[in-house]
Amino acid sequence: MVQSKTQKHLFLAFCLLPTFILFLVFTVYPAVNGLYLSFFEWSGTSAVKDFIGLEHYKKLFNDSVILKSIFNDYFFVFTKVIGIMILSLFFAVALTQLRIKEAPFYRVVFFFPNIMSVVVIGILWQFIFDPDIGLINGLLTAIGLESWTRPWLGSMEWALPSLVLPAVWAGIGLFMLLLMGGIMNVSKSLYESAEIDGASEWQQFWNITVPLIWPQIKTSIIYIVITSLNGSFVIVQIMTNGGPGNATEVMGSYLYEKAFEDFQFGYGAAIGVLILAVSLVTVLILQYILKREKVEY
Amino acid sequence: MGYVRFLSALAVRIPLILWSVVVIYPILWMFIGSFKSNAEIYASPWSLPKTFNFENFVLAWTDFNIGTAFINSIFVTILGTFLCLVLAIPTSYALERLRFKGSDILFNTYLSTMMIPSVLGWIPLFFLLMRMNLLDNLWALSIVYAISHVPFTIFILTSFMGNVPRELEEAAAIDGMSQYGVLLKIVTPLVKSGIITASILNAVSFWNEYFMALILLQTDSKNTLGVQMDLLATHAQYNSAWGVLFAGLTIAVVPVIIFYALFQRHVVKGMTEGAVKG
Repeated sequence: MVQSKTQKHLFLAFCLLPTFILFLVFTVYPAVNGLYLSFFEWSGTSAVKDFIGLEHYKKLFNDSVILKSIFNDYFFVFTKVIGIMILSLFFAVALTQLRIKEAPFYRVVFFFPNIMSVVVIGILWQFIFDPDIGLINGLLTAIGLESWTRPWLGSMEWALPSLVLPAVWAGIGLFMLLLMGGIMNVSKSLYESAEIDGASEWQQFWNITVPLIWPQIKTSIIYIVITSLNGSFVIVQIMTNGGPGNATEVMGSYLYEKAFEDFQFGYGAAIGVLILAVSLVTVLILQYILKREKVEY
Repeated sequence: MGYVRFLSALAVRIPLILWSVVVIYPILWMFIGSFKSNAEIYASPWSLPKTFNFENFVLAWTDFNIGTAFINSIFVTILGTFLCLVLAIPTSYALERLRFKGSDILFNTYLSTMMIPSVLGWIPLFFLLMRMNLLDNLWALSIVYAISHVPFTIFILTSFMGNVPRELEEAAAIDGMSQYGVLLKIVTPLVKSGIITASILNAVSFWNEYFMALILLQTDSKNTLGVQMDLLATHAQYNSAWGVLFAGLTIAVVPVIIFYALFQRHVVKGMTEGAVKG
């Protein structure tokens, strides 16, 4: 086929340009402008923005709510990674390697919360934690542990840990599937020869499964960390609105509060930049910690 | 030996069964609650309702605007998913198949924005749409949704396009088909499973999205399900309209359950067959 250079370029432009222009307008511009806005004091209504340089960033360092938010964000990251990884790894191994007839049933059911909206999950779990009609207090009373019942989401100490449960509940399915994909790609013969050599199932898990699905494990951990730092505020906003006090405030919910409730758009933008910085630094550190020689048998 | 095997199988099944209960029970509780009156929910929150009445559903659908919100959500989900494909398919094809100067840079640019928290762009996006007179506009929200998932969709589609045999494209070109034709009639049908996987994941997240809708929509008649549900929940807290709230939640969840039941095979296939590689 004879094709002129112009035709080729036209086709490339047809494929790439519309998407790229919209991407510049709706993704790149807002991100760059967010950075820009963080150097200004701006209430959103006036045409004039006052340039104040790094003032917002100085303020961030002395804002006790921000420090609390960063701590809370890391609390979520840490507990979510541990909870989700342990459970989804266990389920992934159980559903792929042990011959369980009803495995497809579990696979479908466990993924279920992943298709539910955060709003629905949040409201549902608010009920589960409800002091009067909720499942948790009801369950504790039913098994004779009435003294353990408490208003979970209204308690300064328990609100934050309580929010981890719905997050783990909603996260398991996706990562279980990801890890299952990895495990199913590991050659069966490896396990067979390990069995002949007399390796226990536990040894097989640590010496074959974990090293060979390390890429999937690493991807999952980093994915949980990023989505947690960038998205935990949604469940917080719905279930506790950052309270009681600032007990469950995270960076994202604080940004929303400052920008869209207090109309401090410049300060809100600075919090956005902080979220980006914290995410990038955390992921870089994780990449380094989780680095491991690629294994091939 | 059979005895040991039975016991160990049991030991593994206990956590599996427990977790199934932890997942299913709250959802079931919500379904059942949607048929109960307020008095029943308070008196016996765990039991079955005496009679199954649909009053809560009618109230939620009409008085609490869940009906309108439902239709708005369908609109943004379908339009957003469709636009995302229209934008991502040609780009993925160009990036994966028409190697050109800068294709790697462009690909990495798209991918790296997946790392940027969307909250960073919220404030400028809000004012941008305000200046364009596009706040409170479901078309604009759909475009924002579509663009926000373009990088992820490109990521999935390029990995599927890598498997399309080049000979097919060449044969079509020799037969005189234009490049546009090759893209539309040869390549697109061949990456169907990638398109389905990406679209399911996109559609589910657009259906469930909450925060962009909260910020970018303003009037009640434009609200999507997420925003409307949140309003209903606040209302229920003050008026103890729990049954209605449960009915609203059920209305929001049932379509995704049906959708998932129809397509779950594709989700699992897409997830486990290397579409999402380490």
